[in-house]
Amino acid sequence: MVKNKNNKIILILLSILGLCIFFGVWELSIRFGFLSDRTMCTPSTVIKTFILKLTETKPDGATITVHFLSSIKLSLAGFLMAVAIGVPLGLFMGYYKALDSLLMPVFEIVRPIPPIAWIPIIILTLGIGFEAKLFIVFISAFVPCVVNSYLGIRLTNQTLINVARTFGASEWQIFSKVCVPSSMNMVFAGIRISLGNAWSTLVAAEMLASTKGLGYMIQMGRTLIRPDIIVVGMVTIGLTGALMAMLLGLCEKKVAPWRYK
Amino acid sequence: MNKNKKIYYFLPVLSLLVFLIIWTILANKDGSMLPTPLATLTRFFEIMQKPISKSTLPLHIWASLKRVLIAFSIAVISGISLGIGLGWNKKFNAFAGPIFEILRPIPPIAWIPLVILWFGIGETSKIVIVFIGAFIPIVLNTFSGIRAIDPLLINAGKVLGANKRQLLTDIALPTTIPAILAGIKTALSSGWMCVVAAEMIVAKQGVGFLIVRGQESGDTALIVVCMLAIGIVSAILSTILTKMEGVLCPWKFSKTK
Repeated sequence: MVKNKNNKIILILLSILGLCIFFGVWELSIRFGFLSDRTMCTPSTVIKTFILKLTETKPDGATITVHFLSSIKLSLAGFLMAVAIGVPLGLFMGYYKALDSLLMPVFEIVRPIPPIAWIPIIILTLGIGFEAKLFIVFISAFVPCVVNSYLGIRLTNQTLINVARTFGASEWQIFSKVCVPSSMNMVFAGIRISLGNAWSTLVAAEMLASTKGLGYMIQMGRTLIRPDIIVVGMVTIGLTGALMAMLLGLCEKKVAPWRYK
Repeated sequence: MNKNKKIYYFLPVLSLLVFLIIWTILANKDGSMLPTPLATLTRFFEIMQKPISKSTLPLHIWASLKRVLIAFSIAVISGISLGIGLGWNKKFNAFAGPIFEILRPIPPIAWIPLVILWFGIGETSKIVIVFIGAFIPIVLNTFSGIRAIDPLLINAGKVLGANKRQLLTDIALPTTIPAILAGIKTALSSGWMCVVAAEMIVAKQGVGFLIVRGQESGDTALIVVCMLAIGIVSAILSTILTKMEGVLCPWKFSKTK
């Protein structure tokens, strides 16, 4: 028991040590000039820049809060639309064979194209405004929703369906009471991928064509050779992504609690 | 029953036809920027013969693929090693895990500006970006694969007198192969996406460059050709890996069927 406790303390100390070394080497290698401060900034500068960017609009035209809100609004809107349309579509495609063979061929053509490759054609047809980015985010989140919901239904245990049929369930009842609940695992895995996709695709879209948003901010940081702005942007993007994934995990627990038994 | 089956052969053809018709109608609308399917096809044959920036389409695809393959091989080797280290050794996990956790949620695309500042706009920066994109899923999957090993197997090995190295190479690694392969699959498609993104931001060659060239010159047919080419390559890559999966861990497939 005592040994166990000691072990835990050692592990925690090792974690702290690891982080200290990581940040220490980062900070010192720039302080002592191993790395040029034109290409990288110290962690302390990152924190300073972050606090400054909360109120300062220079050099990229907006405070970090404005960039952040603009990005999050877009990605959530696109993501929610994709879930609302993609999940039901995938579920129905998985259950109704006619719908499957009608839509699958077209879907199979569109599916392997990475969402980023849509950006140029969308810029040319829809411009660089809100709708254009919404559409790109939507595509990136839509595909995993459909694929996973479809697979979820397809992987439903045949025995469960047979049991329901023996007890006289109608087709709709089998679909809604047996297949849909049993597919929830896959559906949520898909939604999780969608969320990550939506977020990183939006960053890409903002880097390529935008006038605000976190992606725009880091791109400006590059043009102006301001590594501190880039790193602040990256950290914010990373944190937001992790936070959204966490919130989704909480939702999942509410909607499909049996997964956590 | 027989009649039903015929319908299922007929429906995909119908759906592709409808898709092409809708595409043509959209493209023929006044002021539409979309190319017609026919224009896309002609553009495809043209780019196969007439080079843009000294390369035809296959050469551009090859330029992108080369970057992906180099970065991907490095990522496979280092990612699997790090994943095993994190999953197998508790102390190493405590030490390096938190650092990895900080870097993990940053999308590979968000690294592009910083990587360009570090390595310039040459070949290296693209390889680094693809590497980041491929490295993370491989580490994550290897790690969770090792963690998900049934303790029963490990204990059985211990009882039969296996030493630590044998436990790792004879029990842990073979059990983890399906998880590692799943990671490799994600890594390859993520790497392919990253190379396109990196090339779209700065490059002189590659499909990502070609698609942006199409955008800059308003050549929408070229854009659609590139999109389809990118999609087809990505589909081929994932088919190859699925085949490999069947060869390397056949038990996984016999179980589901």
